[in-house]
Formats: sequence, structure tokens, C-alpha cells
Amino acid sequence: MQAEAPIRKPLALVICDIAGSTRLIAREGDLVATSVFREFFEYAGRLGRKHHSLMIKFMGDSFLAAFENIDDVMPFIISIERLLSQNSIFVGRLLGFYFSLHYGNVLYIETSYGSEVLGDAVNVAAYLNELKAPNEVVISRDAFERLHSDYRARAGASESRSFKGVGDVEFRRLDLLGL
Amino acid sequence: MAASEAEPMPEIATEVIVVIDLVESTLTSNLFGWYAVGRHSLRDLRSLVGEVGKSRGLRCVRSTGDGYLLTFHDPQSAEMAAIRAVEAVFDLLHRILVRNQQVSEERALNLRCAVHLGEVDVVADDREGPHISMAFRLEEISRASLPAALNPIPPEQFPLQNYVLCSEEVAGILSRRTKQWDLSSIGLLKLKGFPGWREVFRVLPEGQAAQVAMAE
Repeated sequence: MQAEAPIRKPLALVICDIAGSTRLIAREGDLVATSVFREFFEYAGRLGRKHHSLMIKFMGDSFLAAFENIDDVMPFIISIERLLSQNSIFVGRLLGFYFSLHYGNVLYIETSYGSEVLGDAVNVAAYLNELKAPNEVVISRDAFERLHSDYRARAGASESRSFKGVGDVEFRRLDLLGL
Repeated sequence: MAASEAEPMPEIATEVIVVIDLVESTLTSNLFGWYAVGRHSLRDLRSLVGEVGKSRGLRCVRSTGDGYLLTFHDPQSAEMAAIRAVEAVFDLLHRILVRNQQVSEERALNLRCAVHLGEVDVVADDREGPHISMAFRLEEISRASLPAALNPIPPEQFPLQNYVLCSEEVAGILSRRTKQWDLSSIGLLKLKGFPGWREVFRVLPEGQAAQVAMAE
């Protein structure tokens, strides 16, 4: 079967990082941690499909998900956040999730290991994730401007940070508690 | 009193850390014998490391079983130490290429090399600290690591042996201070025990990054 040709398209990119994964491995061992991550990724994959993600890629204790419609993103993030309190396997084990969201042009391709998105926009989403605090989403201006007004109204003040190879990126933080 | 309190605190130095791993050395030793092949390979490698490193600030050589942990130091300039270390690694790869053409197949040496720079604790014939761990994490990167990277190169384009990877810190120095090598990002990776995403680069002789890109 021939692989689909790469497509360049604007996508909303979400990176989610599990808070406390190192602590979990240290306290309960890698066998338990692996099964917790596996369970989390199964839930996240299911929620990704439910909220029409184009692709979701799992990486250790993180995932990258891409969406064609940015309106699908916040319901997806909120449903992931709720896993923390609704699933006994995660309660007390995972400290929270760090989310970042960016919107930009990427190359969407099929690879030997599945779907992949490539481009500077992916790096922006990754670097924003490093400004993390649990239970909040760090949202770039490009994504923020496309979000529903309900979410925009709840976001914090604009901040800016310079990233290597990317330059200045404007972003806001959105607290997930109470959503 | 804790045992460590009786010992003087080690010197702290900024050094270039190079991890060299012999590809399939255990397999080769098991197949052809440690005394017949394995020990000669490691001795040859140690000798070649000494030759390429002695005039380039090689300061520490420690066996890791399957290879060596090396550090390079320049009291005047840590950045120059990085350049000399990369020069030494490419010189080593060249000498190994020449050597491999002169020895039997089972005695051929093939290497994975990783270069990083950072502050280390200088202990006798060894080095300690998180930057040492970082260099080992870089060396452990393989094709299988790439699906878990962001913006990765296709796994099949990642070489199996005789290549040099470096950290962002070393890539920054090389791109600022020399045109001797090309740098090609292999992606952003999470390295075990280290927070955040780190861009990892392959160092190629000048002009080769363009050839790799053309082949894609």
C-alpha cells in the first residue's frame, strides 16, 4: 500500500506532559508506572478519537495531539484533566497534567511508525510546555486568537518568552480548575 | 560522620564529555572470544583514543566496559575544548575506518559517539555529575528513540554506527565558532532523568548535511 503524500496544513497542536511521572517510577517501580502510563494513553487515545483529533502520538510520559478544528481542543483537554479525579488508577499517582497549545502550519505525514506532524510549530508547542504549571494550559497567541470567547475571557494576562530558534512567543495561561 | 565528609570536595571543571560505545562489542566477544578478539579491540580503541586525544586536551579516559568515557579540557576556553573534542572524535572515526580495512571482519571497530559539555566533578580517573549522565543519554539514542521525539528525522535515516551526536550546548559552540562541520537536528527528545525537551544534533563533516537532505 502506498503511503499518503505529505500535506502541509494549519493544525492546533496540544502537548500534554504527566506531572509526577519520575516520582511515580521511584515510589512504585517501573512496572506499575508503565501500566499507569499505558492506561492513561488508552484513555487519551479514546478521548482523542471522540474529539476528532487528526493524530495522537505518545512519547514516554507525554503525548502530542493535532486537531484540524481548534474548537475540539478545549473539550479534549478538559476531558483529559478529568481523568485525574475520575479514574482510581490515576488518583494519588499522577500529580496533574501540563498542557500547551499552539496553532500553526505543519507537515502532516504518514511514517513507518504512524502519523506524524513536523515543523517549527511543533517546537513552539514543546517549548511552551516547559513554562508549565499543573492544571493549566499555556496557549500561544496564534491559538488563543482562535479559541472560543468563553475560554479567552478566562485566560490570564499576555506574557512573552524568547525561545532558541523560534524567537519571541506571546502566550497566556488558562487555569483548568473550575472549567 | 558520613564517609563522604572525610574526603575533600572534588575540583569542579567545565569539560567536554565524550562517550564512545563499541557497537556490538559484547556480541563480538561472545561469538569470537574475549581473549581472541574482544580485548584486542578495546586495546586498539584505547590506543587510538590516546593518539587522537593527546594533543587536543584529553584529560580523562575511563572504560565503560563497552567503550570509553573521555573528557577534554582547555583551561583558556571551554568552547575551544569542544571543537578539539569533536576534531578528535572525527579523527578517531577516520583512523578506525582505515584500521577496519586492514583487519579481519570480526576485529572491525564500529562506534557510536556522543559529545556534551558541562561542569563535572573531577575525581581520580573518573568524572561525576549530571552532565556525565546527559552524555550517556545522548549516546543511548537510537532509531527506536525517534518515534518518541518531536520533529524527528525518519528512523531509517538515523545511522547504525560510526556517527557523532551532540547536545544543544555543543551544537551552539560549533555553529558559532567553526564551519568545519554541519549540524543536523535529529529532533527534540526527552532524556531520562532530565526535564523538558532537548534538541539533539548529528555532527557531520562539512557538506554532508546537504547530501543527507538531498537524499530525503
